[in-house]
Amino acid sequence: MLTNLLAPLCLLAPQGPQFAEPVRVRAGEDFVKVEAPGFAAPAIHDVDGDGVLDLVVGQFNKGKIAVHKGIGSGTGKGAYAARTWLQADGANAEIPGVW
Amino acid sequence: MELNGDGLIDVLSGSYSRQDEDMAGLFQVLYGKKGGGFGKPEVLSGSDGQPLILQKQKDGDDDGVTDAICTRPCAVDLDGDGKLDIVSGNFRGTFGFFRGEGGGKFSPKVEWLQGDGGKLAVDSHGDPFFVDHDGDGDLDLWSGSAQGGVFLFENVGSKTAPKWGGRKTIVEPKGHTPIAADDHVPEFGDAHLKGPQSDTRVWLADVDGDKKLDLLVGDTARLMHVAKGLDEKTAREKFVSWRKKQKEFFAANQPEGEEAMKKWQEGYEALEKEREQFAKEESTGFVWLFRGK
Repeated sequence: MLTNLLAPLCLLAPQGPQFAEPVRVRAGEDFVKVEAPGFAAPAIHDVDGDGVLDLVVGQFNKGKIAVHKGIGSGTGKGAYAARTWLQADGANAEIPGVW
Repeated sequence: MELNGDGLIDVLSGSYSRQDEDMAGLFQVLYGKKGGGFGKPEVLSGSDGQPLILQKQKDGDDDGVTDAICTRPCAVDLDGDGKLDIVSGNFRGTFGFFRGEGGGKFSPKVEWLQGDGGKLAVDSHGDPFFVDHDGDGDLDLWSGSAQGGVFLFENVGSKTAPKWGGRKTIVEPKGHTPIAADDHVPEFGDAHLKGPQSDTRVWLADVDGDKKLDLLVGDTARLMHVAKGLDEKTAREKFVSWRKKQKEFFAANQPEGEEAMKKWQEGYEALEKEREQFAKEESTGFVWLFRGK
């Protein structure tokens, strides 16, 4: 038990950047999650130009790109809405060359 | 990022590989449209008019294909000349640099980011992201990898003449989550996950507005779920029993020849079907936030 408590889940460089323990990002009640087989690739950007940063997540499956609209402000920053798919010319954007 | 100088935000993506020619992961751009939205993906070309690709570095028996596939680009003015460059990761784990020529044009000639020990690299699936995390005025290189984890190559040069220090491990790689093929009974569900698993992809930004740089990490997580209608205790017991059967199958079957291999495959698939009666496998990916301290 003691070993478990002492074993860090992530090793942080002693004099490098310091971060808190990781938490899984949520979109509303659910965790942000990509389709099988995975390969979540996050990015932060104000996609819709409303002044709030959104979470964009690429995935391997069909090369689709999820957009989680940022809905927080002030101390609530980093809160996101449920997934919509990034659109390209009116359809779900799909990056060729992945399956 | 804004790639072509028209003032509209574009989306830049890598890919696994084109299928109709020599394997190479092309770069695709969804150009921003006036009035909002994006156009369909377009292949990014170099200033020679040909698709921009990471050229294979053939070396003896190594055909160099892993240099060219699984591209993961980051558009950034790496040499501080005011022109956007592209740095891309690949399957091998190295980092290819395409020098920007301005206006969304890039030299087709790839240069590889180098450190004192040769090419900078993670184990595989390099994932470059650049940010001046220490506020010293130059850009530092962060990367995920196929084995997971997060790595940092400090820029020990300058804004206009980057020079890369050795690889530092910021988050220890977790490795690929073993599930069905290894000698253990899995944890069911996802509550046991405490950090990123394999195939990490990184982004750094002040996500929560506290003026500190946070680290976002995407991953691939392989999970096992209790089949519908069963409780976890029952599923665990069935798994232990099934695991014994699986080990016996592996011990008793050493296929040699096409017919034996076919039979082995059928037996293996039957075992997997049997497992699905009480435990369902899922491969997915999550996004993890490490808040900056």
